[in-house]
Amino acid sequence: MRLIMIMLVITLILSYPLGLIDIGVWAKVGVNIAKFLPELGVRWDLVGDALIASYETLIISLLGVSGGTLIAYILAPLASPLIVPPRVALVGRMTANAIRTVPAILWAILFVILVGPGPKAGALALIIYTSGYLAKFFYESLEAISREHYDSLRVIGLRGLPLAFALYSHAKRYIISNVLFMLEYNVRTATILGFVGAGGIGYYIMNYLGMLNYQATLTFVIFTLLLVVAIDLVSYIARLRV
Amino acid sequence: MPEPSAGHAVELNDVFFSYGSTRILSGVNLKVGYGEAIAIMGRSGVGKTTLLKIIAGILKPEKGYVRVLGCITNTGCFNSLRGRIAYIPQNLGLVEGESALYNVLLAKAPSKPLRFMAGLWGRDDLSEALEALRMVGLDGKAKSRVDRLSGGERQRVAIARAILQRAEILLADEPVSNLDLDTAEDIAKLMVGLKSKGLTIIAVMHDKWLTSKYFDKIYLLDGGILREAV
Repeated sequence: MRLIMIMLVITLILSYPLGLIDIGVWAKVGVNIAKFLPELGVRWDLVGDALIASYETLIISLLGVSGGTLIAYILAPLASPLIVPPRVALVGRMTANAIRTVPAILWAILFVILVGPGPKAGALALIIYTSGYLAKFFYESLEAISREHYDSLRVIGLRGLPLAFALYSHAKRYIISNVLFMLEYNVRTATILGFVGAGGIGYYIMNYLGMLNYQATLTFVIFTLLLVVAIDLVSYIARLRV
Repeated sequence: MPEPSAGHAVELNDVFFSYGSTRILSGVNLKVGYGEAIAIMGRSGVGKTTLLKIIAGILKPEKGYVRVLGCITNTGCFNSLRGRIAYIPQNLGLVEGESALYNVLLAKAPSKPLRFMAGLWGRDDLSEALEALRMVGLDGKAKSRVDRLSGGERQRVAIARAILQRAEILLADEPVSNLDLDTAEDIAKLMVGLKSKGLTIIAVMHDKWLTSKYFDKIYLLDGGILREAV
């Protein structure tokens, strides 16, 4: 608690030049909320569009997870010194890290340029981003397996990718948990990708917000929320069953 | 480099091994004939597992040599032997959450990697695996998850894997520890019974009674030296 208080005091002091602790600013927030709330509502005529956009977002996320998982499944063994020589593993590891370092939104911008705006760009961006992220989780899961399990498989004569697949089966729960995490993450990210023209519900939110059409914006935000909650729920149930 | 010998399935010659500055093995000599079942005994921490790992080629001796099935360990010749040696570690090396059948079929993965990775086994592979499970008395348990099997049944799955592997040498690290007396005897009998299939067995054991009843020879490891118990 003491540490949190110290952190808070330091942050408040540092944020003073930005005007963040100006009481007047926070009072203005209250006034603006009072003006803004009556303008909110749901546009029932846009529910059809919102459903289609939610479906598009869901498919972009699923494509991102399945494509990314497949690539990561192959990439991770190439980044693990348990499977390939250490020098090859270093290259594999650096590749996975490089992919992961570029944020999903930048991949989306790149693919909007390469394949044009729409869900294709979003799906490709998430496939690449997910592969980098999961590759890290996967090679870490390979390396977390007990030495005895690894040794017994090596003695059988397993090498290379088949060895990695056998090791994966030891880490199945961890892998499924991370894939589900990426699915949840991708649904949230796919919403943002629409802001740069990579399809999905974010495209509508961005446009209606630009037109200051708050009722339409809120309609799509509600659907985003429902989609995220639904995916979290599915993920939660799946985790319980693994 | 010593010449290959056809006389013994396993031969250790003046083997030394240390973990850092701690000497574990100080000139171990051992000769195990084809089809023999030997037990290695000794107090906890004396290096029995280390010795087994050296024979399996998992650890490299710092001095001396180990010859298995005519090949010196850690050479190209030895690497070509993979699959002819089965190693059952203390934790059995089973994949938790998977079925007994899956675990036994792992023995086929090195020779059929694509089938293994795709999870598409042929009818022959499946019937061979089921036969291996039948031989260890697990006919009805093929689809049972190994983490839901008893300690003795799990041990049987590991032995079935060695059978399907058609291994010539079975290295087992404390195969009957944590089992009740009857189950431990069943497992020891089953394992040593594999001698009839031409298997050479080297097991780390603790139970003196079982060992003297079922094994051909008993060796004691103490102070880094291995000597035959009389």
